Amino acid sequence: MDTKTIIAEARARFNHNSAKAYLKDKYDSKFIIADQGGLWRAKLEIINFLTNSTEEHVILMDNFDNPVKVDRISLLDKLSTTYHTVMEEWYSEWVELEKKR
Amino acid sequence: MGRTREEKMSKGALLFAFNSPKFNYYTMAVATAKRINHFLNLPVTIVTDEDSIPSSIDYKFDNTIKVIADKSNTRDWGMWINKGRYQAYELSPYDETLLLDTDYMVNSDKLLTTFDLPTDFCCHDRTSYLMQPTMSQEVLSVYSVNTLWATVINFKKTKRAKSIFECLKMVQNNFQHYGNIHGFIDSTFRNDYGLTIATRITNGHTTPINDYIPWNLLHAGTNTKVYRNNDNEFNTEYTVMFDHWNRGKIRKEYMTIKDTDFHMMFKDNFMELIRE
Repeated sequence: MDTKTIIAEARARFNHNSAKAYLKDKYDSKFIIADQGGLWRAKLEIINFLTNSTEEHVILMDNFDNPVKVDRISLLDKLSTTYHTVMEEWYSEWVELEKKR
Repeated sequence: MGRTREEKMSKGALLFAFNSPKFNYYTMAVATAKRINHFLNLPVTIVTDEDSIPSSIDYKFDNTIKVIADKSNTRDWGMWINKGRYQAYELSPYDETLLLDTDYMVNSDKLLTTFDLPTDFCCHDRTSYLMQPTMSQEVLSVYSVNTLWATVINFKKTKRAKSIFECLKMVQNNFQHYGNIHGFIDSTFRNDYGLTIATRITNGHTTPINDYIPWNLLHAGTNTKVYRNNDNEFNTEYTVMFDHWNRGKIRKEYMTIKDTDFHMMFKDNFMELIRE
């Protein structure tokens, strides 16, 4: 029996809140990258800080609360790329989810 | 010009599988190994016992390590052979090992990130439940600490990782004592509890955040049933159905998931999903 039939026969209702929470779990983990000896989450705060700094090297606290000296441009590139890629995927699935309302 | 030597660390996955009268863990391990090969491109070693190995084998593991199963553990549905996980350190043929439960459904390459984490040992400290987003984190008891999860462990062959597994053995052998200290029911040995205690002891009774995988372990838990959306061997799309109890009535709810790893708490459902 295919899943559409199972859903129809069970008269199951799509749970939007659970699906939204699941997407957050799924994509939150994809923001994480290991680079230059530290663990980073590609979030706007760190991307903005790296964008607005001017030094070649900066020291940042990583996800594990360790101070790490990093090559600013290199880390910025990786975090920006990760951020945009993950957000594109998340948005794409979110749009699909919204259609089920 | 000087010569340089690139030392490549071997990486692989390790599965423990001992058949019980109710569940065929070897079959589960084969299905999980195929998915590990497909999505993670890692070799898989199985630790099992003579009784669990089928007469005709259609999947070849990287290594098959036979041990004598400790059959002294039981839970509500019968014999549960989950003791002896501490042997993972000694038995793993790899420099870096991904130790998984056989009922972990690999649907992506996400676990490869655990090899990049700047630590020699890590496991999950937080969980989420499909269709139950408000579920709280499990604790050893109300008087104790949050439970760590032995479902996914990544470790390197270091002195500290060795100490954790040796400590796990000690906790397993003295589980009743630790049950008394932490206030949990000790009649059934759980690797999750053993690991929680062992990592804390090894780390001087502190909470080392470096030892935690920085995302939640996803469970398919109680009142939840998972259906696969197509019959492809490496299907990654599932419908998750949940029985929402409200005022004595069940309301069926569902959602769809894809390309997401999750841990099946109910083995019957896992067997249905891997059936070809």
